[in-house]
Amino acid sequence: MTWVLLAAALAVAVVVAVALPFLREPAPASDALHELDPAERRLLEAEEERDRALAALQELEADHRAKRISDEDYRAVVGSLRRDAAEALRTLDRLAGGPRRAGTSDAEAKID
Amino acid sequence: MIALSVAGVLAIFLLYTSLAGGGTPSVSPSELATKTGEVALAGRVVGTPTGDAHGAGLRFVLTDIHKPGHRVTVLYKGSVPDMFRPGRDLVVTGTKRADGVFVSKPGTMITKCPSKYQAADTSS
Amino acid sequence: MAELGRAALILTFGLSVYALVVGGYAAWRGRRRLAQSARNALIASFFSTLVAALVLVVGFVRNDFSLAYVAGHSSRALPTPYKLSAFWGGQEGSLLLWLLVLNGYAAAAVWLARKRARDLVVWVTPVLGGIAVGFAWLLVVVSSPFDVIPAPADGSGLNPSLQNPYMVVHPVALYLGYVGLAVPFAFAMGALLSGRTDERWIVATRRWTIVAWTALGIGQLLGAHWAYVEVGWGGYYAWDPVENAALMPWLAATAFLHSVMIQEKRGMLRVWNVTLVSLAFCLSLFGTFLTRSGVVTSIHSFTKSSIGPWFLGFIVVAVVFAVGMIWLRLPQLRTTAKLESLVSREAAFLYNNLLLVALCLTILWGTAWPMVSEAVRGETMVVGRPYFDFFLRIFGLPLLLLMGIGPLIAWRRASLRGLTRTFAWPAAVALATGVGLIALGAGSSTPGLVAYTFSAFVLATIVHEFARGTAARRALTGEPVPTALGRLIGRNRRRYGGYVVHASIVLLAIGIAGSSAYDSVTEGRLARGQSLDVGGYSLTYRSLGEREGANATEVRALLDVRRGGKDLGTVKAGKNAYSVEQQVSNEVGIRTDYLTGEDLFVIAEQVNDDGTVFFRVFVKPLVNLIWLAGLVFLLGSVITLWPDAREERRLATRYASARERSDTPATT
Repeated sequence: MTWVLLAAALAVAVVVAVALPFLREPAPASDALHELDPAERRLLEAEEERDRALAALQELEADHRAKRISDEDYRAVVGSLRRDAAEALRTLDRLAGGPRRAGTSDAEAKID
Repeated sequence: MIALSVAGVLAIFLLYTSLAGGGTPSVSPSELATKTGEVALAGRVVGTPTGDAHGAGLRFVLTDIHKPGHRVTVLYKGSVPDMFRPGRDLVVTGTKRADGVFVSKPGTMITKCPSKYQAADTSS
Repeated sequence: MAELGRAALILTFGLSVYALVVGGYAAWRGRRRLAQSARNALIASFFSTLVAALVLVVGFVRNDFSLAYVAGHSSRALPTPYKLSAFWGGQEGSLLLWLLVLNGYAAAAVWLARKRARDLVVWVTPVLGGIAVGFAWLLVVVSSPFDVIPAPADGSGLNPSLQNPYMVVHPVALYLGYVGLAVPFAFAMGALLSGRTDERWIVATRRWTIVAWTALGIGQLLGAHWAYVEVGWGGYYAWDPVENAALMPWLAATAFLHSVMIQEKRGMLRVWNVTLVSLAFCLSLFGTFLTRSGVVTSIHSFTKSSIGPWFLGFIVVAVVFAVGMIWLRLPQLRTTAKLESLVSREAAFLYNNLLLVALCLTILWGTAWPMVSEAVRGETMVVGRPYFDFFLRIFGLPLLLLMGIGPLIAWRRASLRGLTRTFAWPAAVALATGVGLIALGAGSSTPGLVAYTFSAFVLATIVHEFARGTAARRALTGEPVPTALGRLIGRNRRRYGGYVVHASIVLLAIGIAGSSAYDSVTEGRLARGQSLDVGGYSLTYRSLGEREGANATEVRALLDVRRGGKDLGTVKAGKNAYSVEQQVSNEVGIRTDYLTGEDLFVIAEQVNDDGTVFFRVFVKPLVNLIWLAGLVFLLGSVITLWPDAREERRLATRYASARERSDTPATT
């Protein structure tokens, strides 16, 4: 009948695992799961847009350096990519409503 | 643009199926009587096979898998899969001859693995 | 011990229901501790499933034939590795493996993502729990591995075609693939459920998707190799429904891997991506259904089993759920980014996707046609090789060409001048190769010639990329070539790993083209001393031998091989007769020419009583490139998967800032 003991042990372990959050915090300050509100979501999307625009610029630069793209093709595209990046940064500034963060300053410097 | 490519794919597809036909009907021995033309005959091997598949031809009898009864004699030439033996299920493609013998196209025998994913109650 | 297994599975079922119901409620109402509890339940269900699996393993190892499943798939004489692989030799065991892998992936995914994507995980938990509920239900109620019978003296043994190393690894690899697609699916559904439209779910699941896709690919190649060397009918892929069952989700997953790159770079194709990942997962379920239910005639099953209708039900639920969620979130998913030009990298990726999905759907139609025709016309129609081969060429050859074009063509808009500059050299190489091949006789098969020419084009682009990248690095740093190459790959793992994977597909294409468009076959009955000529080889049948192996009697015919007057050694082919299982298996003789990748493939079709043997001999050029492609594929995948510290930091910063603004301090 060892199987009964093993099964019982398993059942107890499983129940403890499931109850654990309540055992560890019987009376928490807040039980709310904070999800991103619409403003935070817009901010996140704006950051993704900025990262995309900057990455596209960096890829263009890298391709140009590696001679994958000719000078004329580079000149044809770099203008619009820079405009997109500047636009993304402006949107982000507006939403974040504050000074730019340090991590992006060198990438942004390339645009200015 | 997506609509265009979907249309293109459908066009190729319809062109192919209209030229090549919609496939071969799969029938059981009891359904064979009513069919003409090339079919894929699916059944269970019963009795003892005779002959040589690489010589004059292997002769064996197929019956319905789900309700044994009607029998058809099959004449087969070509590669015989390892699984072939009485009690196994298989498919051969061919046509029914005037004398009732099913003559198969060479090399079209496919056997089924009997026990892999069967429910427990069927025989293996 | 069977009762312990059954109890463990019941616990798993209960935990999965909890994860689904309570997890869903917690996500909906925003209850943190309840959400953590549901997540713990999902993780705990892995352990209870593991206990059940171990019980079954112990049953096999101990020859416990009171377990009906063990008795049905094992025997005392069976070598131990095959006793272990017999675990997944039948329906109940393979369902248990499915559930074990699912719970393993689920536990790992929610645990690893618990901090980085908290608000996604709360929705991912009920989705994964829901999938687990389905399989746990089947295992507890419909198809239990722990049914007990009066123990027979010995088991029925394992099907001999499963008694080889391939069948130990192939099902596990396939399951890691099939089931692994549940993770990106669950994250996609989680993103939709939570109403988020950013790329968090893609970033979080990128590696899981690649792992699953790689496993599925390797699993299929292993299966193909098994069919080639063990089943030994002379080929490696028969368009059998269970083969297609693995190919379809793999094609959808390949499309998905490419289209997410477009979403990452340009923010486009959001609706398409969630649809694709749902398609891939549903095809995974469908593939499992096909293999289990006997609903389509194939080499794996014939009789209809009780599990078919349940699976169909699950697939319907999954499809309805996915379609419903996509429909619901459609307004939020749409973006303003548009395709600027039909000649651009975005467009090339889109064509790639369309071709892959088209191929996938035509295979689906051809595989499902017997079921559909039976329901609609009352007559079961089966579709043959020509159908599949036709569509493989129509869609596959352009895909091959695109592999060379896509990585190099410019983003947004490619100019004519840019195109000529980029592709002039590879196109010239391809043309020269094509002409050269015609001179060598490859013109006998047009699809084969086209495949070779396109392959040359793609290989030329890949070589050019590596060369140019290395040269650019050396111009900057002056490093020696190996270091520059290594650093180049190291700093651009996704790009160059992707190139390596493309190269593996090219090798695969060349191998398939060579062995199917340019092969030769001959057959005949030989008496001792007689010869057979095929594809430049001359084989002479010398002798017949018989010996007693571990659980089978082995009969082998020995043949001398000569080519162009040179003696190339011997090859053996014959049959094994298994005593316990009462079956005969074909044991083919393969002589591989490593220099040319060509195989001489000998089947002893029939050993006659008078000592004559009927042989069927193939010559398959370049077939070994297919297996080499598998190794290169694995290498490329590993390169793309390798963690990139810089990229990790960048992503952590982006999502951490969002998290800091959104999270209250909480324990994990």
